[in-house]
Amino acid sequence: MSQEHRLLKFEPLIWFLFGQGIMIGSILMTSWLLVVGILHPLGIVHPDALGYERALMLASNPIGSVIVFSILALPLWKGAHHVRHFFIDRGYAEYDGTIGALSYLVATLGSLLALVAVIRL
Amino acid sequence: MPASKAAHPEAMAPPTPGPTRTAPPMQPGSWKTSPRMKQYARFGLTGWIYLFASFAGIAIVWSLGSGPEAYARMQAILAHPLAVGFHLLALASVVFVLIRFFGLFPKAQPARIGPAKPPPQPVLKVMLYGVWIGIALVMAIVKAGGLF
Repeated sequence: MSQEHRLLKFEPLIWFLFGQGIMIGSILMTSWLLVVGILHPLGIVHPDALGYERALMLASNPIGSVIVFSILALPLWKGAHHVRHFFIDRGYAEYDGTIGALSYLVATLGSLLALVAVIRL
Repeated sequence: MPASKAAHPEAMAPPTPGPTRTAPPMQPGSWKTSPRMKQYARFGLTGWIYLFASFAGIAIVWSLGSGPEAYARMQAILAHPLAVGFHLLALASVVFVLIRFFGLFPKAQPARIGPAKPPPQPVLKVMLYGVWIGIALVMAIVKAGGLF
């Protein structure tokens, strides 16, 4: 069985995770990138807003943990799927089995890492 | 009336194969730079940015779980112009992806979902943008210290 056929067996799961990544992941990432990645480092937001104590309080409660895990893990699946299709669109369809498998492996490992990162809080 | 019987599968085929009416498909040499392919490439490139942004996020949360000193070091890294620039690029990618996705999503809906009909496309589009802006705004206010 070729790598592409193996991937086809997981297609429903891959598309489900990709769909959640592009929709829910992107929606949740908007404020993360804006506040955590831009406004807070530039000092536009008060330093205490994402100081250690408050950031830990926000991210470690049950609802916060689920949201943070979604922000970290879901976009990985959107990213992996589009990296795979980027290579197909640029003319590397013959390597799709390998590239697809590697992309989803990265997303799987990243999701596990995200889960551990959230559990550690 | 005589009973009907199954016809031969090739009963209607012409006695001799006809000339091929179309040329074999050829990929033009300029396909990589055509506007549609450039747009696909831009959309595909956002995949790389999403992957990097997610792993950067994992590193931030990991540092939070490692204690105040590790978190302070991460804050110093995040304040570097390159890190801020990357997050600006990632935010632009997210906006680009969602605008493109929200343009496609209403058109991709089935005519009926069981007994229910999906709302008209413009209404669906307004709902999607409303959810996006609403959630982003509330979460940004929470993260910025305006709530809780």
